[in-house]
Amino acid sequence: MLNYILRKLLGLIPMTLIISFMMFVGIELMPGDAVDYLIPPDALSTVSAEELDAMRLELGLKDPFLVRYGNWLVDLVHGDFGYSIQSGVPVKDLLAKTIPATLELSIAALIFSTIFGSFLGVISALHKGSIGDNTLTVFGMVGVAIPQFLFGLIMILLFVFKLNWLPVGGRMFPGNTQFYQRLNHLILPAVTLGLSMAAGVMRYSRSSLLDSLNKDYIKTARSKGLSEWRVNLIHGLRVAMTPVVVLVGFRLPMLIGGSVVIEQVFQWPGVGQLFVKSIRSQNTPVFMMIAFFDVIVVLLSSILVDVVTALLDPRVKLS
Amino acid sequence: MRKKSLSKKMDTLLYKENKGLLKSSNKSRVLRKILANKLAVVGAIIFILMVILCYGAPLFTDYSPTAIDLRNRLVPPNSTHILGTDKIGHDMWARILYGGRISIFIGFGSAVGAALIGVSLGTYAGYRGGMLDSVVMKFSEIMMSFPQIILVSIIVAITGQSLWNLIFIFILTGWPGMYRMARSQMLSIREEEYIQALQAFGIKKSIIAFKHMLPNAIGPIFVNITLSTAMFILQESSLSFLGLGVPMEVATWGNIINVAQDLTILREALWVWLPAGIVITVFVMAINFIGDGLRDAADPTQVG
Repeated sequence: MLNYILRKLLGLIPMTLIISFMMFVGIELMPGDAVDYLIPPDALSTVSAEELDAMRLELGLKDPFLVRYGNWLVDLVHGDFGYSIQSGVPVKDLLAKTIPATLELSIAALIFSTIFGSFLGVISALHKGSIGDNTLTVFGMVGVAIPQFLFGLIMILLFVFKLNWLPVGGRMFPGNTQFYQRLNHLILPAVTLGLSMAAGVMRYSRSSLLDSLNKDYIKTARSKGLSEWRVNLIHGLRVAMTPVVVLVGFRLPMLIGGSVVIEQVFQWPGVGQLFVKSIRSQNTPVFMMIAFFDVIVVLLSSILVDVVTALLDPRVKLS
Repeated sequence: MRKKSLSKKMDTLLYKENKGLLKSSNKSRVLRKILANKLAVVGAIIFILMVILCYGAPLFTDYSPTAIDLRNRLVPPNSTHILGTDKIGHDMWARILYGGRISIFIGFGSAVGAALIGVSLGTYAGYRGGMLDSVVMKFSEIMMSFPQIILVSIIVAITGQSLWNLIFIFILTGWPGMYRMARSQMLSIREEEYIQALQAFGIKKSIIAFKHMLPNAIGPIFVNITLSTAMFILQESSLSFLGLGVPMEVATWGNIINVAQDLTILREALWVWLPAGIVITVFVMAINFIGDGLRDAADPTQVG
């Protein structure tokens, strides 16, 4: 297994190189450059063309394409992720400020959706065809069809404006930095994100548990005289969880990228908001690094999924 | 006695087969299976109804979606404006209908475009294998390692925001999925004996791939097109919400809901954004029902 993991990790290197290069090419195709955004439009008339040129030279925007890409890559390996073209703040600092917020939100949502979703899935599989099962199925259908931000807006309308239970957005009130003080800010976005992910988890765990309950080894377990809950939960659920783990594993990248929309709805100061802001202002180094990290997380989590699947299901062999 | 009736049955079957009478029953079986699936029928009815409403919009509303009426701003639903008006007096009913034209067009157009590219490449490369296949496969792997919303936003930033750019982006990001699906279908069909027979006859590879193999993979392709349509409609609305979709002055379902970012509208003027939200959800659900129904119907292992 160690061998397998090492081989996969080595395989990532060419992949990440290709991806980083593609992204660099894409960014080069953008209209305008950093200098256009660095200087406010009203101040632009006071700056001469030579001064603009000098600025471009200083920012390294005039080097040949491959040199710029090479510089960027070398910096990256040295842990220098570049600077925000707009504010001059190192991208590293920007990420260090926003990643904890995003992790907090998405880990809460991931845990909530996995536990809640598979719990509902198991309930509805064990009581197949009951009213509860059908209600949950309908909720699941609506859950995958409703746009995430619309769901967020409805939650805000209900819990903030109608019931007045929770704050409308942001991560904390000024000064209240303790976790328990921030908790009421976290609940609404985390539950919204979690519920919208739970719909998928529920569908998966339901169908996969139903599937495994029809298998021969379940009959064997039952004929051994094991108690019903043992048969269902220990023997059935263990294998049935495999596709759920795969689903959750593929959701890991959401830890950074997937909460983009929810962060916007709730004004959560995380990576997603930073990403949207930098896309709008064409702040190349910032959104490049975010996307780059995201891809790496995606690739790593797909390896993780393979490994966990093999651990869970004894029939799976890693090759 | 029993044997006799059985052989008689086989004789009629043989007779029918030879006369070419058996062909049509297969088609009606797919149709019958779809009709037996109540959800799929409901989905299809909703879908057709909404398409008629949107594309026949002038028949159902007298207002223009872009007419500004500053005397009637933020009017709640009443007899003249059945869904009320927004901040600058647009009639919401008209905006939902005309906006639906664009949202449906984006969703369906992108799905068909992605299918055309993905399926034709996948069919050919899946059958031929070789260089083309491995290059495209690698490319699709790269595309798929980006979270969709991140990839789409980056390309929006590069190309700029417009209706056609959005469709172009959806096709660009959507075809690798179609390619993989078509390719895997081809890989399994390739092993069938009738393909060997065709090869033995010396028939051109492209003819084998497109004329003899593709029709057998058409079921999953249609399922994929329907489900992608739903996905693209949802993505269009998310992008609009992030301010990266079709320019705001064009009415689309996503753009209509987008105004609810203004908290006063969100709280005080439900009629502006909620109907469009319900419409989008119901429409996507309808398409999903059709897709699921198609999948069951096209699956020959399920007897109906």
